[in-house]
Amino acid sequence: MAIEKNNLKKITDYLWEIPKSFRSDMRVPVRIYATEHMLEEILRDRSSEQAINVTTLPGVQEAVLVMPDAHEGYGFPIGGVAAMLLPDGVISPGGIGYDINCGVRLMKSQKTFEELRPHIPSLARALYEAVPSGVGRGGKLKLNTQELDEVLQKGVKWALEHNYAEENDLEHTESRGTLENADPGAVSAHAKNRGRDQLGTMGAGNHFVEVGRVEKIFDGEAAKTFGLYLGQITIMVHCGSRGLGHQVATDYIRLMLNKLSNYKIILPDRELACAPYSSPEGKSYLAAMAAAANFAWANRQVIMAEIRKAWSKVLGGDGGKLELLYDVAHNIAKIERYQIGGTEKELVIHRKGATRAFPGQPVLIPGSMGTASYVLVGTEEALTQSFGSSCHGAGRRMSRHEALRRVQGDKLKEELQGEGIHIESGSIRGLAEEAPEAYKDIDEVVEVVSRAGIAKKVARLRPVAVVKG
Amino acid sequence: MFEILPHRADLRIKVWGAGLEEVFQSALAGMNEVLKPGFCQAERQFSKEVKLELEASDPTVLLVDFLSQVLTASQEQKVIYCKADFENLTSQAVAVKLQGMAVEGFDRDVKAVTYHEAEVKKNEKGEFETVIVFDI
Repeated sequence: MAIEKNNLKKITDYLWEIPKSFRSDMRVPVRIYATEHMLEEILRDRSSEQAINVTTLPGVQEAVLVMPDAHEGYGFPIGGVAAMLLPDGVISPGGIGYDINCGVRLMKSQKTFEELRPHIPSLARALYEAVPSGVGRGGKLKLNTQELDEVLQKGVKWALEHNYAEENDLEHTESRGTLENADPGAVSAHAKNRGRDQLGTMGAGNHFVEVGRVEKIFDGEAAKTFGLYLGQITIMVHCGSRGLGHQVATDYIRLMLNKLSNYKIILPDRELACAPYSSPEGKSYLAAMAAAANFAWANRQVIMAEIRKAWSKVLGGDGGKLELLYDVAHNIAKIERYQIGGTEKELVIHRKGATRAFPGQPVLIPGSMGTASYVLVGTEEALTQSFGSSCHGAGRRMSRHEALRRVQGDKLKEELQGEGIHIESGSIRGLAEEAPEAYKDIDEVVEVVSRAGIAKKVARLRPVAVVKG
Repeated sequence: MFEILPHRADLRIKVWGAGLEEVFQSALAGMNEVLKPGFCQAERQFSKEVKLELEASDPTVLLVDFLSQVLTASQEQKVIYCKADFENLTSQAVAVKLQGMAVEGFDRDVKAVTYHEAEVKKNEKGEFETVIVFDI
C-alpha cells in the first residue's frame, strides 16, 4: 500500500504521524521527524513502509520513530528507533543493523586551525599510515581466541589494561565502552575468525578519520562544558565492529528466522527476524550483540591510540594532548526505562542509524566529506519524545551507482583540496561513492532535531582533512 | 545469468536461470563479481576447496543462506570461490563443493547477503529469478 503525504497527520512543522489506522496490522503509529520537503524525500523510498512493518512487531510501544536522515534499510529503516516492552517484547537484529555499534568518537585538541595549518598534509598522511583502512584490511593486532574473547567481554576496559586507553577515555564513552552482559560464547567461530585481525582497523565505505575545526558555536555554555572553542582542531573517527559484527548479525537473523514459528510470530519482512527478549534466542543475541559492541568500542579506542601516536609524531611535544570528548554508538540495542502510560517500564530500545541523546550528553553527527559535522547535546525532551534518541548523520540520498556516474573521484579530490580539505584515500572509486552530493543536507537534518527539541546544536565542525579506506 | 542493479546505499543483483542450479550458479557469479570484478572470468587453477551443506524452509531462504555461507568462507579464508559443483540441490536443501583461489583482498566490503527483496519465483519466460541485495 503506497504511502502518500496526505496519509500523514502533521503534528508540528517537524513531526508527522502515520496513524495506526493506516494499516490493520499496525500496533502503534509511526512518527517521522522531518520538514515537509524532507518528508517528501523520505516517502520516495521504502523507509516509511519499513517503519510501518516495525509497528507490527510484538511488544512495540508508543510509536516507531523515523529520524530526518532516514533511508531504506533492511527490515528497519536506517534512522529508525523502536522500543519493545520487556520481558516478552521482541529483540530484532535488523533493528540494530549488520554493523553492530557502528559509531562515532570525537577527540579535541589544544591546537587551533591556524597553528595546525602547515602540518595538515603530513598529519593526514601520518593518520592514513597509522590507521589501516580499506576493504577487509587487517591490522597489526592478530588476536588468538582467548585474547579476542577478552576484547569481546571487556571492550574499552581491555584497551585500558593493554595501554591503549586512559581512564578518562572510559568516562567519555557511551556505557563506558563496555556492555556488561556480553558473552563471547554467544559469538560464533565464524564471526571471531572474521574479526580476529581487524581490531584497530577502519574498514571502507563511509568510514573515516576526519580532522576538523570548530567553525561555529551555537551554545557557548554547552561548548565550554564540552571544552570546545572556535577554531579548535578536532579529530573524528567513524567505524564499527567490522566483519565480526556483520557475522553476528547474519548468524542471528538466520537463527531467529528459523525459530519464528516457535513463538507464533508472522513477519511482513524476513529481515525483521526476531525473538522474544526472554527467549533463549533473544538472550543469546543480546549477549552476542553486546560482545560485538564491545569489540567496536575497543576498535575505536585502539584507532584513537594510533591517532594519538601519529599526532605526537607529527607535532612533537608542542602538539599537546588529544582528549576524548565522547564516543556514541548509532547501531545498538539498549535496555532503558521510560514512562509509558504514566508508569515507568523497562524497554529494549533499538537504535539503527540513531544516536542516544540523554540530557547533557554530547551527540556526535558526522556529515559527508566536504560539508560539516555537528556536536549536539541531548535533552530532557528527548526522554519524553524520542526514547532518548536523535539522528546519526546525513543519510544517503543517491545510489553508489549514480554517484559514480556523476562524480569522478580524481576531480572530487581536487575540488575538495581546492576548498582546503586534504584527502588521503585508498580508493578513488570509494571517494566518488562518498561524494557530498550523495548525502542529504546535514544542516537541514540537524535543524529538524534541534527544532523538535530532541537534541540542541552546540558546535559545527568543518573538515580540514579526511582519511578514508 | 546476473545483472547488477542500482541501489541507494548498497548493491543489488538480479539473477535468473532455467532451473534452480542455474540461479544458484548465477548468484554465486554475481556475488563474486561484486567482491572482485573480473576475477572469476580469468582462467585459474583452483587450489582451495570447501564443502557446504545446508537446509532451509524454502528456495529463497536457501539461496540467501547459501550465499551467506560462501561469503563467510570467502572472508574468513580470503578466498574467492568461483566454481560450484552441486552434489544435491532441492528447494530446501543444498550440498555443494566449492573451489577457488586465495586473494590478497577484495574490491568491495560486503558486510552481508540480505533477504531484502529476495523472492525466487518464475518469471513470464518460465525462468526462475530473484533480486539479491548485499549490505556493503
